[in-house]
Amino acid sequence: MKNNHVSDLLPEYLDNTLSDSVKQKTEQHLANCIQCKLELDEMKLLFNAFKNDAITVPSDRLSAKFEAALNQEKSATAKVVSIAPKKEKSNWASNLLKVAASIALLVTSFQIGRVIQSQKNNQELVVLQDETLQFKQAAMLSLMENQSASKRIQGVNYIEEFPNPDEAIVKALTDRLLNDENDNVRLNAFEALSNFTASETVKTAFIKTLEKEKNPSIQVAIIQALVKIQEKKAIAPMQKLLEQEDTQPFIKKEITEGLPKII
Amino acid sequence: MKQLTLILFALAIGTSAKSQSDYTKSLSGIEWVKIESKSDIILKTHTTDELLIKNSRSSEVSQRAKGLRLIGEGGSDNTDVGFYVVQDGNTLIVKNLRKNDEGEIYLPKDQNVSVKSTWNGDIEMSGFHGEIEADAELNGSIEILDARGPVTANALNGEITVVFGKVNQDSPISIYTTNDEVDVTLPSDTPSDLVMSTTNGDIYTDFELTREEKDGLKSMSGRKVKATINNGGVNISLKSTNGTIYLRKK
Amino acid sequence: MKELSDEMIMQKVALGNLDLLKVLFDRHHKHIYNFLYKMSGDSMLSEDLTQDVFYKLIKYRSSYKNGSFLSWLFTIARNNLKTHFTRNHRNHDDIDVLEFQPVENGETEKEDYSHLQNALNKLDSADRELIILNRFQEVKYEELAEIIGSTPGAVKTRVCRVLKKLKNIYLENI
Repeated sequence: MKNNHVSDLLPEYLDNTLSDSVKQKTEQHLANCIQCKLELDEMKLLFNAFKNDAITVPSDRLSAKFEAALNQEKSATAKVVSIAPKKEKSNWASNLLKVAASIALLVTSFQIGRVIQSQKNNQELVVLQDETLQFKQAAMLSLMENQSASKRIQGVNYIEEFPNPDEAIVKALTDRLLNDENDNVRLNAFEALSNFTASETVKTAFIKTLEKEKNPSIQVAIIQALVKIQEKKAIAPMQKLLEQEDTQPFIKKEITEGLPKII
Repeated sequence: MKQLTLILFALAIGTSAKSQSDYTKSLSGIEWVKIESKSDIILKTHTTDELLIKNSRSSEVSQRAKGLRLIGEGGSDNTDVGFYVVQDGNTLIVKNLRKNDEGEIYLPKDQNVSVKSTWNGDIEMSGFHGEIEADAELNGSIEILDARGPVTANALNGEITVVFGKVNQDSPISIYTTNDEVDVTLPSDTPSDLVMSTTNGDIYTDFELTREEKDGLKSMSGRKVKATINNGGVNISLKSTNGTIYLRKK
Repeated sequence: MKELSDEMIMQKVALGNLDLLKVLFDRHHKHIYNFLYKMSGDSMLSEDLTQDVFYKLIKYRSSYKNGSFLSWLFTIARNNLKTHFTRNHRNHDDIDVLEFQPVENGETEKEDYSHLQNALNKLDSADRELIILNRFQEVKYEELAEIIGSTPGAVKTRVCRVLKKLKNIYLENI
């Protein structure tokens, strides 16, 4: 390249999608070229604006109407021999739609044909990953409120889908750990959280659990986790457990062995 | 036959003294039946859509307590068979108020049940195909036969035995005990993702486990085994802190 | 439990499992709405058109064969938008290269636009669409190429060019 200005590479550079070698060259150029550096800074401003731009949310009306339409379609499909179509059918399919549908169908089916033609074998898409995670998160949070312990465990196990869970998920899991009436759910919540002991919320929840948890299986697991991360705030509640009469002997043993390891 | 004589017996007495008859309650609108007891709980299935509690009160106690009402910790006897029964939303709460007498309870086989033994009572149940939650908080053991899952069972000092007739693939199975053994039997063709772990016990199985591989090395740790059987399926997690785990196929 | 991909779900829908449409709706209606809102700047219209997109999904579910579900969905959304503006500009001549602007004159805007949205509104609709899909909806170049009928390489170059243009508009008016 004679003119090695990197301005065309800047979006990909900011997206971090350049190969290592190109990225390295770009960085070298940026270090020496004021013009490109300036452009990079400007582009950053724009990218920040993208990031911070508010997401507008449609009103609840939308999902209510969709469900109504879906239910109608379901009952229409179920009653294949129904004589007259139901009147409400045109409720939300506005007039606009009726006119547009026939035109759009033509256009759409053309487009579909094209899409299908150019289809890739690649079925699993990683598009819109962040947003998809949001929906998974909603599913996870709602499962965790289910009446059935097995379903709550299923919700807790969804954590596998979140390599970097956000505060809402962590909070929901610590709620399960501290407050779920079912021992199995609490133990599962502990195991889910044990991979995120770097989080202050998790540490605090573990210490609180140590103070109130009565199930020895959970107690011992919590003690092991806190010893492993050498959490000093755990010393006091552990010593208290040592003094309590109803603490199981093997828990006391675990604490006696663990305490000196917290330096 | 035994049942028939029991019913005849109950009927015969029932006519003269109401307190000696069994207790029944309709289950319409009930999703979960929660049972709590300090003493043994035996759960069996029957074909009617109602809760039936057998009157097993020993006649000696009944004679003395005649005309009196049993007062328990969780409420007072509103069934005349020593139980407190109350509906809470879609849940029916059934408490055995007596500390020594076992309770024999009948429910339809598809009923979701949650059973808790709070003291020394053992939990025994057989033939339930809905969701099962069992918790032996202190010294009781749990035995569940012909289950379909999901099963969530937890015990402290007692052992847990679960024999599955079939494994429902919808929702996870989780069986934990702290100080005793876990003994689970699955049909040999059950697909599942298994996690078995014990801190101070051992793990035995006759299933062909496909161990999770990490960098081509199979995990051989005896403490925690992650494996799939029959190409993987519903999550089954078995755990004992100080006891041994047995996973059998049939 | 593994999450099913959109494509796998849509195939089941096409075979008659209508309940799963709710999953697709939950996953994507916000994206479609945001795309339409950023394109049109009109929240009421965007809501109507989003409804319309999913209504079509219900109606024409059996015409889905395979292929990227997202491309399909955005293709329907684009067509809806085009159809809408085409009809509302029926009296104009060149409907093929129709330019639709979110705001007719900047002074009478009803909606409270962000500075970025104002800059976006200054792009022509094809450029705007490209940026919105790529930046806000995070549609990858390959799929973007499917949607607008181009090649990934050409799309990448165009996105880059439009980003520079947008950057200048954005910074000019800051």
